[in-house]
Amino acid sequence: MTLLLAVLLPFAGAALVAWVARSGRSRAAWAAGAVTLGSILLLAPLLPLPFAGTTLVQQVDWMPALGLHLAFRLDGLALLFAGLILGIGLLIVLYARYYLSERDSMGRFYASLMLFMGSMLGIVLSENLIQLLIFWELTSLSSFLLISYWQHREEARNGARMALAVTGLGGFAMLGGFLLLGYIVGSYELSDVFASADHIRAHPLYVPTLTLILLGVFTKSAQFPFHFWLPHAMAAPTPVSAYLHSATMVKAGVFLLARLYPVLSGTPEWFWLVSSAGLATLLLGAYTALFKHDLKGLLAYSTISHLGLITLLFGLSTPLAAVAGVFHIINHATFKASLFMAAGIIDHEAGTRDMRRLNGLWKFMPYTATLAMVAASAMAGVPLLNGFLSKEMFFAEAVHISQEHVAGWLLPALVTLAGAFAVAYSIRFIHDVFFNGEPVDLPRTPHEPPRWMKVPVEILVMLCLVVGTAPALTVAPLLAVAAESTLQTALPEYHLALWHGFNTALVMSLVALAMGVLIYLVRRPLTAWHESGANRIDARIPYNALLNGFFALSRFVTRRIDTGSLQRQVLFFLLAALALGVAPWLAGESPLTGKRPGLPPDTVSLSAAAALMLATIATVWWRDRRFTALIVIGVVGLVVSLTFVKFSAPDLALTQLSVEIVTIILLLLALFFLPQRGEPEPRRSRLWRDGFLALAAGTGTAALAWAVLTRPYETIAGYFLENSKPGGGGTNVVNVILVDFRGYDTLGEITVLALAGLGIFAMLQTLILTAPSRDTAGRAWNADAHPVIMATLTRLLLPLALLVAVFILLRGHNQPGGGFIAGLITAVALIVQYLANGAAWTHQRMASDSQPLIAWGLGIATFTGLASWAFGHPFLTSTFGYQHWPVVGKFELASAMAFDLGVFLVVVGATLMILTGLGGLHRPEPRQAAARQEAH
Amino acid sequence: MEALIALVIGVLTAGGVFLALRAQTFPVVLGLTLLSYAVNLFLFVMGRLAVGVPPVISDAATAYTDPLPQALVLTAIVISFGMTAFVIVLALKARAELGNDHVDGLEDEEDRSS
Amino acid sequence: MTLAGHLPILPVVLPLVAGIVLLALRRVPTGVQRGVGLVATFALLPVAGGLLQATGDGTHLVYLLGNWEAPYGIVLVADRLAAWMLLVTALVAVFALLYALNGTDTEGRHFHVLFQLQLFGLNGAFLTGDLFNLFVFFEILLLASYGLLLHGGGRLRVKAGLHYVVINLVGSTLFLFAVGTLYGVTGTLNMADLAVKFAATPPENAALLQSAALLLFGVFALKAALVPLYLWLPAAYGHTSAPVAALFAIMTKVGAYSILRVYSLFAGMDSGPLAGLLDAWLLPLALATLALGVLGAAASSGLRQQAAYFVVASVGTLLTAVGLGDADALAAGLYYLPHSTFATAALFLLADSIARGRGEPGDRFEPGPAMPRAPLVGSLFFVTAIAVAGMPPLSGFLAKFMLLRAALDTSTAGWVLAVVLATGLLGVIVLARSGSLLFYRTHTPQSTMPVPSLAALMPVVALLVLVLGLTVAAGPTTEYTAAIAAQVSAPQAYIEAVLGGAR
Repeated sequence: MTLLLAVLLPFAGAALVAWVARSGRSRAAWAAGAVTLGSILLLAPLLPLPFAGTTLVQQVDWMPALGLHLAFRLDGLALLFAGLILGIGLLIVLYARYYLSERDSMGRFYASLMLFMGSMLGIVLSENLIQLLIFWELTSLSSFLLISYWQHREEARNGARMALAVTGLGGFAMLGGFLLLGYIVGSYELSDVFASADHIRAHPLYVPTLTLILLGVFTKSAQFPFHFWLPHAMAAPTPVSAYLHSATMVKAGVFLLARLYPVLSGTPEWFWLVSSAGLATLLLGAYTALFKHDLKGLLAYSTISHLGLITLLFGLSTPLAAVAGVFHIINHATFKASLFMAAGIIDHEAGTRDMRRLNGLWKFMPYTATLAMVAASAMAGVPLLNGFLSKEMFFAEAVHISQEHVAGWLLPALVTLAGAFAVAYSIRFIHDVFFNGEPVDLPRTPHEPPRWMKVPVEILVMLCLVVGTAPALTVAPLLAVAAESTLQTALPEYHLALWHGFNTALVMSLVALAMGVLIYLVRRPLTAWHESGANRIDARIPYNALLNGFFALSRFVTRRIDTGSLQRQVLFFLLAALALGVAPWLAGESPLTGKRPGLPPDTVSLSAAAALMLATIATVWWRDRRFTALIVIGVVGLVVSLTFVKFSAPDLALTQLSVEIVTIILLLLALFFLPQRGEPEPRRSRLWRDGFLALAAGTGTAALAWAVLTRPYETIAGYFLENSKPGGGGTNVVNVILVDFRGYDTLGEITVLALAGLGIFAMLQTLILTAPSRDTAGRAWNADAHPVIMATLTRLLLPLALLVAVFILLRGHNQPGGGFIAGLITAVALIVQYLANGAAWTHQRMASDSQPLIAWGLGIATFTGLASWAFGHPFLTSTFGYQHWPVVGKFELASAMAFDLGVFLVVVGATLMILTGLGGLHRPEPRQAAARQEAH
Repeated sequence: MEALIALVIGVLTAGGVFLALRAQTFPVVLGLTLLSYAVNLFLFVMGRLAVGVPPVISDAATAYTDPLPQALVLTAIVISFGMTAFVIVLALKARAELGNDHVDGLEDEEDRSS
Repeated sequence: MTLAGHLPILPVVLPLVAGIVLLALRRVPTGVQRGVGLVATFALLPVAGGLLQATGDGTHLVYLLGNWEAPYGIVLVADRLAAWMLLVTALVAVFALLYALNGTDTEGRHFHVLFQLQLFGLNGAFLTGDLFNLFVFFEILLLASYGLLLHGGGRLRVKAGLHYVVINLVGSTLFLFAVGTLYGVTGTLNMADLAVKFAATPPENAALLQSAALLLFGVFALKAALVPLYLWLPAAYGHTSAPVAALFAIMTKVGAYSILRVYSLFAGMDSGPLAGLLDAWLLPLALATLALGVLGAAASSGLRQQAAYFVVASVGTLLTAVGLGDADALAAGLYYLPHSTFATAALFLLADSIARGRGEPGDRFEPGPAMPRAPLVGSLFFVTAIAVAGMPPLSGFLAKFMLLRAALDTSTAGWVLAVVLATGLLGVIVLARSGSLLFYRTHTPQSTMPVPSLAALMPVVALLVLVLGLTVAAGPTTEYTAAIAAQVSAPQAYIEAVLGGAR
């Protein structure tokens, strides 16, 4: 579990640091340092294991069913990287404490740094590939926070987003690659993957797998053509650059290259893809670095170049090359970190990083200058420094490979050229900054930095020296175990020494040195030439084009589809429905018409149908003359209810009729506040299109109805007919179904009604509409709102209507009728009062608020259902019995009746609420109000 | 008779669809009403057509029509009533908020042509 | 029948009774109403938990309403899937409600009544075993959602509401046409019974049934906001109040649930005309939905609209899992379902706090003043964005990993991999842009808006904690979703449980 803890500690530390930071700036630094030390101490006891040649694997089940475990692995390679991450991390923590200014939030910085450190540690210690990917993406995310640390700077924001986009792309590609790998191997554990290396290389999916994984590697390690994000990430504070671009972020890519080396390497695809990318990056980076005037820009491109070198080494796929690659990872980390820190010091003390202004700093900060010069020499590959050793090995391998390939001389030539440029830009770093005349109007006079800011640089430079002079005594064992676990086989024969005799590699080094000096001497014409065409090769341009293109495209597509038009939504839905409904018939296997004999049509029905269709067409035709349309649609409803009568559905007929009345009243009230005339359609084409669609839809439903009606079917209805009386205690089967067999539906349906009422009530609260005093023709409305005769008549009718309603409610269980119809009739009766007598009069005599009715209705219905629990029956179980009372005689009492009462109340309540609410909207203009007073 | 009913349903649907595609709220409401007629009728005749055999148990009756679709239609009628009422008031609300009775709240639908 | 026997009906009755009580109590002080609402909503958690427990071993709890046996009466069927949906719904509801108590609930009338009845509709839809009853509960949850959507009013809200209502009315009409046809051919409404009848349908009825079943799919696709029927969602979710939008994060899942439930029964049968009915339709549409959802998110001008489009995208992912027709993929989808629900809900709530904090520019992607409590809100946004984008290490990534892993075994692996990975990357890019525009490109002076209260941020934190929980407990959770998937993929057990001795 130690490994898990070591990885998780920094994540926990992030929170700790953020919290501590409130109580003092240095405390955040101290906490961060403590956390880092903690991880180091956790790993320290395990140190001997890799050197003893044992690989430690610790595993906790996470998603065992998917082969996704929390699995950690400590071997030589992991150890090496863990050492770099934590060791240099510690130095960065110290350095940043003095680098960050008072304005910068320590908490945010160190918290993000800890997050990043933990993610990096997770990558290098992962045994499970998916887990590795998780940490991989976490580095992308946390580096986003670090690069965008100075969020008020535009280049910081854009640099961060670019880094995230590019490395994110790699991450998702790599997920695909790992999925394929797991698919091939059947496991995501590295051990299993190593075991089936040959199987993988032989697998047909090898090439896609390799390509996807390499995409991840190249984006992360800033390999050509994905290198462009790295220089823009320099907008980050220098400690971040020193960390991300020396030992960590960008090294994650080459780490993975090393990790999967035994699995994926050794094929021509690997050789060509990896080494060509590496070589291109090596050259491009080295060349561009020379012409950067920004100190950090130079270092950035030099980093790119060195990453290319490492990639190239792994691409060459000889064991020795791999060893050299691992070795150079160590060396580059040390000298590059120190160089970044030095650059940071210079920036910090001199206030600029522009090498055209930074000159002759030697006399201001000789000590820092010395350190920087040593590190730069290591970068250039000067003997006695660590950079020299790995570069020698690199040259040797280049030569070695070249013997096997046609035109092999090309490789040594090119790498020497790259070496020469490395020398050149290293010289420039030294000469332009510390010598080369006087500084040019620096913001402030530079001086040596505070003591502790230099310590990290000293340590790293010291490492460069000792490794460079006595490699065998220092780095050798670590390199050995790291290289061994990289190759997963016995190490090849090699020995680290300064002097290998006078061999080709040495010659190449000397040539590179000489050429480097030469290039530096002719740098001015070169720079001029370069800058004449520099802006032409900037990968950021295509990147931005791509990104903006994406956003533009998405806007275009979305605006085209989502026009915010309801008509289009309805249109889409209709088209979808037509497609779905028609598709099955295209096969033409089954006939549309069935075998069931039909009823003969009779004249009454024919004329009724004709009337109905005519009325429908009239409604459509007169849609813009709205009152007319309203009247004819009333006719449609009327005929529909007649149809119900005709085909043995008295309940439906009654319901339809009463609903019809209420709906029409509603529409009338509504029309009062809407334009009396519709606007004609501006485009005829639209009418044709919709007409065609309507025709298609109509045909569709007609065909559907026809297909069903002409087919025989057997139904569960028999059960209802049998059990209605014995089981439900009612002879009106429809009603028994409503209140008993399917009472649950009814409960839901009255809830809908109640919701409609409440929703409308809520809407009307804030709705104020003024009624027009004149109609569209400009005639004044009839001032006499409520004719006396009608008023008195309706007042007399009210009790009668209510009586009818009660009667219908009671008999509903056995004869056509029931809660709905009774409720609607009652509602209509009451509404008529409103229409005839006006809201004012009615409100005096009736509770204006019908919400209690709804509450009571729903309550009664629900609690009737719940009551059955008491008798140990399910919800809504009905019971009934026959009572004998004197006078009244024998009559039935059914729980379903109570339920129906609930229905009745809700219907009345909801309908009243809707209609009165709408009626109450009428804010009459003064003149009318006066007239009304007279009428009363 | 079946053909006749199918035709009626078809015409109702066509009318409803056409109106539902209009640009002002009132015709759309009318269209939805027509559609609800159509579907109620459709649902009803799913119990097939039968004359003079109401599903009310009595010793006199010899046969009964399928009562279930009737119950379903009754539910459907009430639900669609609630929905229609809601959409009517919403149309008024929209007119008050948007200042006109276009479904998209536009003075002219030139720029909202799909 | 013991009280425990009534467990399946509780998720329905509880909110209904609460709604009625709240309606009766409409005159009492807000505090009391809030109390009732909270208690009723929290009470759903143990109920859902109990159902999860009771169905865990694979039993189907069948509840005969009115004590009428299937297929004649209406039955409730609680199985693993239903219990899962109930639990997710209850969790989202609790935190949406808690957020609403910050003042949203008093912006209009009857918020708490509508909220409870919304839950009544949702839970009823998840539990019912009857097709027409499903229609009824769709109507309930729709009407409740109309009320909630319009709660508070406002120009754009009303317009969005009008569109939402009308398109759903047309949808309901189609629902009735489909159900009617199915009844007209088979003479039954009980889903299990329908499945049995389908399997035994003579070939001359095949096309008719398929046509009806596909129309039904059209309705569900509308509810689920599947391409090309998703246009109602961005406006509706983007313009309603934050807690309502958060609650609605589960609403599209109802459509997805219905597709899964109904077609696992109808098309899940080995024989019959409906076997494998959706195979040709669902997967391509789902992938298109995912792609268009992310494109929409990229095109959005404000964070709430963007969140709405991410809801669309999440539906795409979810239905991709369903459409692959593979038990492992389905398990991934069912694991993704709560994740995406919590994540998008959190994003809606957070977007509201951000809009309030920034003042005039609101949630629009324009440079504005630095908002108060920016570090805290920013960190919350960072985590939420990771969750929404399905980035590591949160459960969204794990779900996508499961999904792709399962997809590799199918013939369409290439497409699924390409679309899911590409949209994943684009989602990250889009959210990085949003975050950088909202939190980084700030101009002084700092916003003078009131500091977002912790009471407003707490629900967001809680939802993120749930996501974290899904991540940490990924092992057991995915095992459970695998169990759900297994149960859903074997409809025979469901049918036998419902029809029992009847067949």
